[in-house]
This record gives sequence, structure tokens and C-alpha cells, in this order.
Amino acid sequence: MTEPNRPDWMLKVEGLGKIHGAPDRRSLHDTGPEHGTSKSRLTGSVVAAWNVSFEVAAGEALGVIGESGSGKSTVMRCIAGDQPATAGSVRLARVGDGATEILDLEPAARRRLRVDELAVVYQDPAEGLDLRVTAGGNVAERLTAAGWRHFGDIRSRASELLSRTEVPLERMDDLVATYSGGMRQRVQLAKALANRPPIVLLDEPTTGLDASVAAGVLDLIRNLLEELGLAAVVVSHDFRVIEMLTTRCIVMHHGRVVESGLTDQLLEDPHHPYSQRLVAAARS
Amino acid sequence: MTLADVLPEASPTPSGGVPTSLPPLLDEHAKREIRRTILTAVAVPGYQVPFGSREMPVARGWGSGGLQVTLAVVGSGDTVKVIDQGDDAGVNAVNLRRLITASTGANESTVPEESTIIQSRHRIPEDELRSDHIVVLQVPVPEPLRGVERDQRELARMHAEADYAKMWVSLYEDKVRNGVITQTTGYPCLVDGRYVIATTPIPRWDIPRLHQAPFLTLFGAGREKRIYAVPPHTDVEPLTFTDVPFEVERTPGATCATCGSDRSFLVEVPAATGSRWVCSDSDWCRRRQKAQGHD
Amino acid sequence: MNDLMNAVVDIRDLHKTFVLHTIDGRSIEALRGVDLTVHGGEHVALAGSSGAGKSSLLKCVYRTYLPTAGSVLLTPRVGAAVDLVASSDAELAGLRGREVGYVSQFLRAEPRRGAFDIVTRAGVFRGMPRDEARDAAADALRRLNLDESLWDVHATVLSGGEKQRVNLAAGTISPPRLLLLDEPVSALDPANREAALALIADLTLQGVAVLSVFHDLDAMSRLATRVVLMRDGRIAHQGAPAHVLELLEGVAR
Repeated sequence: MTEPNRPDWMLKVEGLGKIHGAPDRRSLHDTGPEHGTSKSRLTGSVVAAWNVSFEVAAGEALGVIGESGSGKSTVMRCIAGDQPATAGSVRLARVGDGATEILDLEPAARRRLRVDELAVVYQDPAEGLDLRVTAGGNVAERLTAAGWRHFGDIRSRASELLSRTEVPLERMDDLVATYSGGMRQRVQLAKALANRPPIVLLDEPTTGLDASVAAGVLDLIRNLLEELGLAAVVVSHDFRVIEMLTTRCIVMHHGRVVESGLTDQLLEDPHHPYSQRLVAAARS
Repeated sequence: MTLADVLPEASPTPSGGVPTSLPPLLDEHAKREIRRTILTAVAVPGYQVPFGSREMPVARGWGSGGLQVTLAVVGSGDTVKVIDQGDDAGVNAVNLRRLITASTGANESTVPEESTIIQSRHRIPEDELRSDHIVVLQVPVPEPLRGVERDQRELARMHAEADYAKMWVSLYEDKVRNGVITQTTGYPCLVDGRYVIATTPIPRWDIPRLHQAPFLTLFGAGREKRIYAVPPHTDVEPLTFTDVPFEVERTPGATCATCGSDRSFLVEVPAATGSRWVCSDSDWCRRRQKAQGHD
Repeated sequence: MNDLMNAVVDIRDLHKTFVLHTIDGRSIEALRGVDLTVHGGEHVALAGSSGAGKSSLLKCVYRTYLPTAGSVLLTPRVGAAVDLVASSDAELAGLRGREVGYVSQFLRAEPRRGAFDIVTRAGVFRGMPRDEARDAAADALRRLNLDESLWDVHATVLSGGEKQRVNLAAGTISPPRLLLLDEPVSALDPANREAALALIADLTLQGVAVLSVFHDLDAMSRLATRVVLMRDGRIAHQGAPAHVLELLEGVAR
């Protein structure tokens, strides 16, 4: 049952764009897949991403596939607020019933969204965690930011989350700096989920991890996405990750979206020449 | 002004006494600036207001901030008490008191009831203070978040957005590591529900005195160039978890060897054999002792 | 018999051409105009040599392949008929699982979960309460002779035949209105094959519309209510199993 004013998406992105350098529209004319570059020879600006649009519903995971330089991480960072966007619109269903333009909010307001509306899991756990703080402390940071003040409750919730992300509880009071890469990612997941955000952005969540460690983390992410009914955006160059975690995806190349579709359809029946090359390379 | 003028003990004058007057240490312009800073601080309780800290004839880190605050608010009709670790007779307290009285003509006392301004490096006097008292505290490090963040801009942002999450994490880590929150001096407190302050230099013992106090408390940090304030009747709540009560220092069974008190802040001092406990507030202890007829 | 009121899926003039940009833009026509209707309680088996378009047709219905032209009208349990070809990705994601199911040959992209867990989740995904799904999962796995000792083992370490049975159980629990089966028993030994075929036969009795590909003529003849012979991306013949299979065997000889 949806309330009368609530949209049926949790996250809606329309025409999102990011230009590094002068935001000169002429840069759009000599950049993109047909031109084989994101950098405009005319203006010197880099069109990192342009005209990216998608919606994600609750309980759904959308993949953003591309090689490095495709703009996929740029898109994620613009939505997260780590980078200012040049153009476009981002709306969250729970903020102003989906009518508030997130990109127009003050940095302080956008930071507040990161407490319990929008969580981010970074490729490098050091970006999402304070390595000099314990695993429990990292989770406590999110909880206290949301106003938790009862030590027992904080500890209890942190234990619950860390245990759910399969971090051994006897290591909860160890500094994250002493953890392996895979364990750090699990702590990052626990921290991201601390305040039950409805939307999670995951940027290359298992890249850089050993294969068997990555498999475990991927399993965990998939289970969490299913159980918690999150709306997720998964950014990756790795098709196995996209295949395991997402139902729909978009393909980016030189900053533009070249194709979008159901994940299985994209993997078995890619249409755009670039998508076909990517899939063929992944299959070999 | 020479060193001899400022530190008469170092080079005795022919009469062996101390100079009874010095030229003012702050000009009117400086006083006005510092008063404006103080007014801003009082208007925004707990907010660290930057100010142009002047060169004072005390070294940085020895109370130059507190001194400037006192000099800005004192008048010839005021009576000034200066303590260091609760003791009026410490070398530092004596020097500061002389500087103030000699350069402003104010009176001096060791008794809070007779004073109007109390400058302190480490304690709030045990006596009940009145609404016309001003307590001026000498602060070495005014930034309560210094242990958790180094970047100046980030610190400014954290205070501006009341984003004290990192402070809470450090309290969490402290409790996890040590079973209790161990910070002794400089315990972080929330003022008027808005800004977190460092309560250096006072011990935990004195923190409850700040909450809804009838008197004004001013904090001066000369080296760091900041002044902040707790106006009268303002909430001051030590940061702690709702299930971890804020505790003050207490040694069970300890009483003052001089006056017998068990309800004042006691410090351990060396004695003929080992050590003993005595009141930190030496003047309070002395008066109590006198009232009891001991000598 | 061919009462269009009971049609679950109505495929009209379906075309699928692949354009392979990685090989000089060569195009391959997989389907060249297919018309086919499947009703509830029918089991339509697709027959024909490899390359005839059988799997392509299944995948076009499921929309793993995006048809180039034509329509696939699905009549859901509730609501008006919807053209799967024209539906948005989001709509289709919703329809899959509830209304259309696909059992492929391969157990793909499963995290390291046990068989029991996989089948239970499939049931829950289709709207079964968890307890009911657990019971149904146990029933299905037992029925397919998957030993209980294997139920909690990571599915990736199961044999081909064991994986295929897990697939089948997951695909048929709380069955959707239209079920697409792509070689669902190819890796099973005779005993397990029997159990699987019996389970599939039950679906037809339950009124599920089934569209299948079997290379096993025996399975086809036992399960199918109608056999459709495909050749070169088109339907060449369709009719009663015995009739069409005679044709097939004639062609093969």
C-alpha cells in the first residue's frame, strides 16, 4: 500500500551530469562514446558524466557497469554528496515525499541525509571507516550521529550489526586498522546499515579483495539486500558482481549511458557495440 | 617597563617592597575589543570567540588569556582573588594578583565573599558564589575536540553543525577500553544544549558548580586566542551516556588532615611520612579550621 | 480447446535478430515470425534441431532476449493482459517470479547457500509465508530425491544433476502462471528423471501453462499436451505429441 503522495521509487536520478573544468555546454559536443573520450578538445573540460537517469525501487538493486573512466563512480559520488554535480536532479522518496531537490540542499543538510537516509559503502574501506577507531566505535559513530545516547543500547546494536555482517564479536573492540581487507568491508557494511537507511550505494564493494574473500562479502551483500528490502545502486566493472546482486543495470562509457536493461538481458543479449565488447570480454 | 618592574621579587627595590602602581597593561582600545569579545561569548554560550590576544607580561600558557579577560572587566571598585590550584599563595597566583592590582588599582582578597572577580588556574572556590561574582578561568587548550580532529576548518564545521559524533566516539572508546570514562580535566560539556566546551582547567569536581550557576564564568585562552563563556543560569551538562552517570573524583574515607572536611575537593600532598590529604582550596580550609578553633 | 479466454500467453509474430557488432555487425535471425498460444493446463513442448530457435523463443518470452518485433501478451492472475515486449524493465522484473518463471539448465550466480535455503527463498519470493515455503521446499526436495544431507551444503559444490534438481524445485515451488522450462532434466539419471517428470506433470494438472524445451523425446511425449516443431526460427508444425514426433523421427532418419 502506498500513501497517496509517495512515489513508487526510493531514489530517482534525472539528467545527472558532472563536468570538471568550465561547465561549458560546448564540451558536450565532442565528448562521449562516439568521440571516444570524455575530455573536450574544444574547451579542455572533462565531461565525467552526462544525462544519467534512473529510478530504484525499494527491494531492488540497480547496477552501474563500466570500465574505469566510464563515469560510474562519478555518478555515485554526486548522489552521495561527495562531489557537487554540474546538472540534473536527485530525489529521495523519504525526503519531502520525493519533491525535494537533493542537489540543491546545503552541504550540512546533505551530510545529515548520510546519517539515516542514504548510506555509502566505498571500494576502499578506509574511506568509509576511521581505522584508528574500533569496529564497534565505527558503528557507534553512526548511532551517536543519529542521537543514540545509551551506551548499553549502542553496544548492543553495534554487536547485532557486526554479527550480522559476520565480524567475530570477540574482535569488536579491536582497531579496524588491525583488520584484513575483507573484514574491513564487513565493518563498513555494518556501519552503513546502522541507522536502517532505505538506500545504499555500493562502489566496487569487492574489488581488491581475494577471490574467496570477495565471494563471502558478495554473498553477505546479497543476503542483506534481500532481507532488508533496501534500494541499492551497485557500481562495478565486474559482471559477476552485477549479475549476483542486481536485477536491472545501466552501462556507462565515456561518461554517457549507452544501454540499460534487465541484468540478465544485458548479459545475454547486449545491443550496443560497447556493451557487446564488455560482455564478450567478461565471458572470456 | 622592565623586568624589575614586573617581578619585584627578582630585584628588590631599595625599600624592599613592591611597586604600588604600574601603567595599565591594556589600553582602552584593547579593553574595548576584549569586552566586545566577552559580550559575544556571553550572547552565544559555549561558543569560542576569537580575539586579538595581546602580549602580556606573563608567558603564553601561564594565564595570559585569563589575565586579559580580568583586565578587561575589572574596575578600581573591584576586589580580585587569584588562585592557582586552589591556592592563593602559589607563585603564579601571587604575580598575577600583583599585576592586576598594581595596574588597575583594584583591591585584593583571598576570601571569595569579599571578592567580585575570581581568576583561577584550576579550581572554583568551595564557597557559595553570588550573582555579582565573575569567575575567570585560565584555559591552556580551549578546543574540546582537539583529541579527535586536527583540521581547523573541520573543527569549525563540527561546532557550526553541532556535529559532535567524533567526540561521542571517543567517549565510547574510552568506556570500552577502560570501563569508565576516564577524562579528568577538560571534561567536555554541552552548554545551553548547543556548544560543547572544554572545561579545562577545572576538575570534574567543579563541573556541577557551573550548571545553572548564579555567577558568570569566563574562559580565557591567550595562546590560542579564544574567549568563551557560561552565562548565569545556563545549563552545563557533562557529555556522558544516559546509562553511564557522570562521576566526580572521590577517594573513599579521605578527609582533610587540616580541617577534617570530607566534602571538599582534596589533594594528596607529601607529608613527614608518606602523604596526606588536604583541601585544595587553601583559603576555605584555613577559615574552616579557624572557625573550629584549631590553629 | 483453444479458447482464447484461457490463454495465459499469446505470442504474435515474434521476431528476434541479433546484430553482432563484435563480428563486423553480422546479423543472425533467431526467430522469424512465431505465433503461439499457451493456455492454462497445457504443456507445450518445443522440438527441432539445434539452432531452430527453441531456447531463443523461451528467452524471448522471459525477456532475457529483447525481441526485435512482435508481441508476447501475458494474461496475469489479476489485471489486464500485458505485452512483455513493450513492458518497462521495472514492470517485467515485477512480473517475473509472480507470473512467469524460468528454469534454465544452469544454476547461476547463487551465493553460497544451501539447496533448502534456495528453494525456500524462491517460495518466499513468490509470496509464500516463510513456514509454508520451508515445508514446500522440503517436500519438493524429497520428491526429487535430493538427500537431506545435501540440503545445507553450498549449492555450488553439488553435482550437475543435484543442481538441476534444486533448480527445478526452486522454479516450481508456488508455481507461477506461466513456466518456461529449458532442458530441465538433461543431467538427471533415469531414477531421478522419473521423479522430476512426475513433478512437472503435476504442474499441468494444477493448471500451470508450461512452455518447454526437451531434447529427450520420451520426456516430451509423456509430458506434452502439444508439440511444436520449429525450424529456422519459425514454427513448422504443431499438434498432438504422437503425430509431431512421428514427423520428427521421420526427419531424423
